[in-house]
Amino acid sequence: MAEQRVLVVGGGLAGLAAAMKLAELDIAVDLMSLVPVKRSHSACAQGGINSVNDTTRQLGDSEYLHFDDTVYGGDFLQHQPPVKEMADWAPKIIDLMDRLGVPFNRTQEGYRDQRRFGGTLFKRTAFAGATTGQQLLYALDEQVRRQHAAGKVNIYEGWDYLGPIIDDDGRCRGATAQNLVTMEIRAFPADAVVLATGGCGLIFGRSTMSMACTGSAASRSVQYGAKYANGEFIQVHPTAIPGADKLRLMSESARGEGGRVWVPRTPQDTRAPKDIPESERYYFLEERYPKYGNLVPRDIATREIFNVCVNEGLSVEADKQCVYLDLTHIPREELDRKLGGILHIYEKFQGVDPRDQPMKIFPAVHYSMGGLWADYERTAAGGLMPGSPRNHQTNIPGLYAIGECDYQYHGGNRLGANSLLSCIFTGLFVGPCIETALKSLDASASDAQFDLLHRAERSKKEMEHKKLLEAPTGGENPYLIHQELGQEMTKAATVVRVNDQLTAAIEKVAELHERARKCSLSDTGVWTNQNVMFTKSLLDMFPLAKALLKGALARDECRGAHYKPAFDMPGVESTDPTERRQQAELWCDKFEEKNRKWLKTTIADFDSKGDPTLSYEDVDTSLIPPRPRLYGIVGGDIIESVWKERQVKKTESGAQGVEKPANGAAEVSRDPVPANK
Amino acid sequence: MTASSTKRESFDVRILRQAAPGEPSRWETFRIPYEPNLNVISVLQKIAAMARNAEGKETTPVAWDCNCLEEVCGACTMVINGRVRQSCSALVDRLLEEHEGEIELQPMTKFPVVRDLVVDRSRMFRALEKVKAWVPVDDYYDRGAGPRESQESQEERYPLSECMTCGCCVDACPQYSKVEVERRPNESIEEHQARQAEAEKSEFLGAAPISQAMLFNRHATGAMLADDRLNALSGPGGIQVCGNAQNCVAVCPKEIPLTTSIARAGRQTTVHAIKKIFDR
Amino acid sequence: MAGTEPSFFVRHEFLIRRLHSLTGIIFGGYVCVHLFVNASIVGGAQAFQKNVLAIHSMGGILPLVEWVFIFLPILFHMFVGIGITVGMIPNNKNYPYEANWRYTLQRATGLYLFLFILWHVFQTHGWFHFDWWLNVAERWGGAQFSPYNAASSIGLIMQNMLVSLLYALGVLAAAFHLFNGVWTAGITWGIWTRPHAQANALKVCLAASVLLGAVGLSAIWGARKIGSSEESIKQAEAIENEMYTVQVEAGLIPPTEHKRAHHADSDETPELTATPASDENPTHPSDED
Ligand SMILES: Cc1cc2nc3c(=O)[nH]c(=O)nc-3n(C[C@H](O)[C@H](O)[C@H](O)COP(=O)(O)OP(=O)(O)OC[C@H]3O[C@@H](n4cnc5c(N)ncnc54)[C@H](O)[C@@H]3O)c2cc1C
Ligand code: SF4
Ligand code: SF4
Ligand code: FES
Repeated sequence: MAEQRVLVVGGGLAGLAAAMKLAELDIAVDLMSLVPVKRSHSACAQGGINSVNDTTRQLGDSEYLHFDDTVYGGDFLQHQPPVKEMADWAPKIIDLMDRLGVPFNRTQEGYRDQRRFGGTLFKRTAFAGATTGQQLLYALDEQVRRQHAAGKVNIYEGWDYLGPIIDDDGRCRGATAQNLVTMEIRAFPADAVVLATGGCGLIFGRSTMSMACTGSAASRSVQYGAKYANGEFIQVHPTAIPGADKLRLMSESARGEGGRVWVPRTPQDTRAPKDIPESERYYFLEERYPKYGNLVPRDIATREIFNVCVNEGLSVEADKQCVYLDLTHIPREELDRKLGGILHIYEKFQGVDPRDQPMKIFPAVHYSMGGLWADYERTAAGGLMPGSPRNHQTNIPGLYAIGECDYQYHGGNRLGANSLLSCIFTGLFVGPCIETALKSLDASASDAQFDLLHRAERSKKEMEHKKLLEAPTGGENPYLIHQELGQEMTKAATVVRVNDQLTAAIEKVAELHERARKCSLSDTGVWTNQNVMFTKSLLDMFPLAKALLKGALARDECRGAHYKPAFDMPGVESTDPTERRQQAELWCDKFEEKNRKWLKTTIADFDSKGDPTLSYEDVDTSLIPPRPRLYGIVGGDIIESVWKERQVKKTESGAQGVEKPANGAAEVSRDPVPANK
Repeated sequence: MTASSTKRESFDVRILRQAAPGEPSRWETFRIPYEPNLNVISVLQKIAAMARNAEGKETTPVAWDCNCLEEVCGACTMVINGRVRQSCSALVDRLLEEHEGEIELQPMTKFPVVRDLVVDRSRMFRALEKVKAWVPVDDYYDRGAGPRESQESQEERYPLSECMTCGCCVDACPQYSKVEVERRPNESIEEHQARQAEAEKSEFLGAAPISQAMLFNRHATGAMLADDRLNALSGPGGIQVCGNAQNCVAVCPKEIPLTTSIARAGRQTTVHAIKKIFDR
Repeated sequence: MAGTEPSFFVRHEFLIRRLHSLTGIIFGGYVCVHLFVNASIVGGAQAFQKNVLAIHSMGGILPLVEWVFIFLPILFHMFVGIGITVGMIPNNKNYPYEANWRYTLQRATGLYLFLFILWHVFQTHGWFHFDWWLNVAERWGGAQFSPYNAASSIGLIMQNMLVSLLYALGVLAAAFHLFNGVWTAGITWGIWTRPHAQANALKVCLAASVLLGAVGLSAIWGARKIGSSEESIKQAEAIENEMYTVQVEAGLIPPTEHKRAHHADSDETPELTATPASDENPTHPSDED
């Protein structure tokens, strides 16, 4: 048997962590990436990475609370064992990154400093300046370089993954990929293929994501039978800077320091913002949420900004749709001291000083919670079984998914600073799992018996490539189709979702897909042809876009980032105590009913044309029972007390009758943690 | 933002194009309808979409590299109006102020051109390997936290650690010269890269890897490889090639104190060389 | 290049470059002394001659000192410097930063100084003092400086306007090259590392180079003044000859004929019998050239 190898596709945090761990286990690794790994999208993350730490622990924090915050923030849509395992690993992961030399900010005494992030009461977030993602990425990149120097990892940068190679038994035996420079197509034999290819923001045209985040690798895998889960869950960040090429993130701290959001009352007022008098400004967040003002929670801010632009037509710019984020009332020195870093970004890219002029901002697609469906094996205690070959394996044996391109950790909504954690965690955790899987195989994908399989798959890809190059001229322009797709998706499937719009979008996207198939290329060359590579990734955006729209249309509820006004559950309005109680009971009934129906993972299977069929899978919520998210809801207090009573009753009856799981008992019976303030 | 630019209807972009390595290069001009707040990347995106030059003739889209579009990945570096920088953070309005009516784009000058504005910067990553720019931890298991570190030390390391290997510093360095090995017919990608690596073996490392060596020599565990790094820095192509033009520090988009790193490397290699004489 | 072992230069470049830096500093120290001594000519022929004679009181070991501390270091520095300069890719047009201009200027002045020093030493000192060579050199305009008639002979040389200009350029180039070099050496050896330390060091170095330049120019001015008329040359010569006689008689310097001026009309020069000791030296390099 020839040496067994693992192909890791993607060199962001997840892919690098996996490559280095596998190398440590003495497994031969081929690491492939579209961009040089050091230039992966993970470099963009600014905020930080979460874990319980010695100081929060003394304030009552625990791995369990981190776990709880994560599933609560995700609206209980994630299977709980992987999340629990991740929260348990978190402190160890920060320690490891610290050992690898990440320059985390320090306290005076020289310990790691932590800041507080959204969705928690504790200062759990370790950070390295304003570029935590970059610093973590570099630390892993350095280790992989070290392993490369030691001959344990081959690095293939500038290769585009084209799809898995699957043998007759349905097992993945490698992958095909194409070199971006020479256009060579090669088959990479591998006994396990790990996809760590990140998010799919480019489906929305412009997002806060990097240009390599096309989702093409995930899409190419689902076209070979892998399942895609929770595609409709896309996080939209309320404040980004609109650019012609990209939407750049503008941190929440601008509002934290007193920034005010407004639009002119006259649609598309042509006056300079400073010339618009106070009376003609509409501070819509302050008016609608007098209590929280500009600091309403992220999802609410996002929805309101979107609403004012799209539904009320009050956007500052007619075609661009944006609102003002105004800091000009704050003294310059104070701004420089507290917000210098982010103001610098705005200045650099907009060429305007936000200390003098209000910033123009807009919500922007930011993160894909959904992704490739992946399996896990649960322990009795409710965590993940270490070394189980099932962990993170897709439904195709031998094909694994980790990092942002899997769906497992963030449910309906991701908490800030949890994604970097999930990426590194999954990368490290999957190593021993793959080791076990390789040991159970009695052949190597590099054995001669698979030559034919690999060659056949390669010629298939070569044919497809040739066909694209030979497309007749005068057809569609891929760049323009991409723009249209982006507009369509942004309109229908971001902040606020309406079934009519989704239905229309499904039709429109199908039509765009047809047109995209008739793209003709302006470059038919055989050397560094970016035109054809772009067209390929464009074609592969459609299956995921379709799954996303279809999933969103089907899911008639509000959960996490998925918001349908028609299915919103208004709070308790009544002031009469008995009526209030009744309404609260009703609310809780409805909530339970909604969970029965929709607390399920959406799973998409694709046919040969890339059209999805949906099915649903139950979510493992055995550790923390789902509870309502009541942030900002009218009458939240009464709903909460009714809900708690119901829970107590349930546990009591459970104690008498139903047998509880042996190990998880203590945790399952925990009281729900009150809503965060 | 100036009055003249708001009235502007279009502007020209002159691009130095090259179809492939070894092919001749030529200038091609594109006319772009003016919009405020464009950056060079969005201009290139427009060119890709229209694939037509200023004379209205059909042409292939210009090839270029990018990823993050917010100046943290380093991918999109090119020579813009004569100066090397990131095209994602190069704003058209500013560039037109620098040079009225026209923007000039060229590939980086010190790296082999792959096509148009795409260059092969793998030499920079190989240089990082030469100076062992990593912390030699025992393993990736849980062994508690890393070494404690003062705020002062973190503030020294953090800026160095922001280097995105974009190559501006070496492109502007008058001591750094291009090494290009032409691909032989039927040569594999790996064989060609190996010959390229061999050819640049004793060429100048450049400011970025020198600075990275200093970054890791400053870390308590990283310093365990300090001697290896100093050997590399005083070997062929090492620190001695630097001529102190200090262009590197002037063009570095991350404002990394490269000349401080270079001087530190000077000091450490001095001590190291003297020690070596007596250790013989 | 591919596949071949790197050249000797490349393999030992670190050491060679450090020696280059070191020799530059050593020679620089000499240049300072040289220019300050020369500037004493502003105080008249006597002051200058006194300094020159003080140096020549070293007698027989002077050539050794010259070769070890001056000629060898500068020759090494010059030839390695040429090697370094060949590899540069100047880019001041696109990167018109101050430090980059100094970088280019350092190399430009280096190249000028290379030619200048070769010529200057030949013109004044002659490089070697074998008799046969001195005859040849003198015929080609070399070895024109007579240490025992220091002011008058240099005054004669400086009578030529073009020569004076080239010297002025040389002096300025040397002043810049030396102290900019000291500044870069401070980085090379890691003496000033932080930006503000480097900026401060630069200020000191530039001030020093302005000072040295001024000192050098004043020496040229002084020499030209002495050379401005037959009369003043004669006067200077008379003073020098008298000092020579006195010092030789006091045994402070060895009498050496070829270190004295030999004019066609120099018959009034007092004859002195050369002591055997002084002529044992096959070569008679002198310093103040
Ligand atoms: C602006 C911004 C700020 C953020 N801030 C934070 C934060 O503060 N905290 C936090 O926890 N999270 C944050 N996130 C989220 C987090 O950065 C990402 O979720 C995470 O970096 C994803 O890492 P990854 O390893 O899964 O993939 P990526 O880093 O996206 O890497 C994907 C890799 O796959 C490769 N690839 C892609 N397609 C192909 C293909 N077809 N063939 C070959 N290779 C391919 C790419 O080249 C790349 O190497 C932020 C995200 C954004 C956009
Ligand atoms: S040091 Fe600066 S210029 Fe050089 S590669 Fe790093 S970031 Fe770029
Ligand atoms: S200081 Fe050195 S490395 Fe920097 S530009 Fe100058 S010669 Fe190059
Ligand atoms: S695209 Fe990343 S730096 Fe410009």
